[in-house]
Amino acid sequence: MKDSCSSVSPLLEKYFDKEVTDKERLFVEGHLQDCPACRGNLTSMEKMRTLIKVPVEEASQKEDFPWLWQKIEREIRFQEKRTWWQSLRSWLDVSPLFRKKVWVPAVATLVVLLFITGQIIFKRAPSYPGASVVEYVESETNNVMIYDLEKAKVTVIWVFEEPEKESMGT
Amino acid sequence: MNPEETDLISRCQQGDQEALKGIFEKYQKKVYRIAYGVVRQREEALDIVQEVFIKLFRSIKNFKGRSQFYTYLYRMTMNTAIDHARKTGKQSMSSLDQEGSFQPSDEAEKGPERILLHKELEERVKRAMGQLPAEQRAALVYREVEGLSYQEMAEAMGCSIGTVMSRLHYGRKRMQELLKDYVGLHGQSRSSSNFRKGEKEG
Repeated sequence: MKDSCSSVSPLLEKYFDKEVTDKERLFVEGHLQDCPACRGNLTSMEKMRTLIKVPVEEASQKEDFPWLWQKIEREIRFQEKRTWWQSLRSWLDVSPLFRKKVWVPAVATLVVLLFITGQIIFKRAPSYPGASVVEYVESETNNVMIYDLEKAKVTVIWVFEEPEKESMGT
Repeated sequence: MNPEETDLISRCQQGDQEALKGIFEKYQKKVYRIAYGVVRQREEALDIVQEVFIKLFRSIKNFKGRSQFYTYLYRMTMNTAIDHARKTGKQSMSSLDQEGSFQPSDEAEKGPERILLHKELEERVKRAMGQLPAEQRAALVYREVEGLSYQEMAEAMGCSIGTVMSRLHYGRKRMQELLKDYVGLHGQSRSSSNFRKGEKEG
């Protein structure tokens, strides 16, 4: 390799890719006449290009594309048909619910909370089977609850006093 | 961009499938060549072409015409092809028996030995390409297969011309190292001796 190779080297690839100016081209060609090493480099790049390009060219020439267009068209139609369902699913947000596992414990917690809240809200309801509350009156002295027993056709008036001393009258 | 192409793009942006067909007919071979250049496998390249045109139909509304349409399409093709190559990892675990990886243009003219040699060589190229970083592989395909200029490559790759040259240089250098038996180490050993031999013979 000659000393002048170092000055040609940066231009050699540009020359190979036909990206040099006329002045640069003349300079490189002048050097190549006397430098087998740089010519070898150029030949190597040419061989590399052939190795990369030729199989692609050959594969491309053998290909028949109309059937591929039909496949693309079918796929587009299929995706369009699916769109309403996809939009519905995204609206319902069902899929992410199952996909994102973070929602599972969140929903479970919500269900537990609702159950506990329900217990607190309805704890004053009578536990007697077949009874339905007619009225519940709160006052400063005594709270009163009136409910009917369906089977016995009896009206029960429950007067709340102190927790230990509850009395009941009919 | 010529008026016919502008019209096709505009119609396609409004959801006209016939316009997409027009674009497909114009660019199918180029898209296939880029895809094949990256994955170097027929079926996969065809899958990529299909995926690219479906993607294009969905996303063509985003094309504002600030760049050439073909660079927009090439970039989409390259990204899809490189994604495929990453997902399948076929570059590194390719098999010589893989059907469709290389198709000699006229098998009748080539003897079985020659076909085998071609297949083996193509497998070597495929493996070597698979070892390159995605950007260098993209640069080599754009330049060596499609013959894009540095300016066009810079547009398609979204980088400067200097970066294009650098990717091309390192890509070629690495390929020369990986395929030194075929192209000569750093382009000097076998290549230069072949050249000298040619001079003597000539």
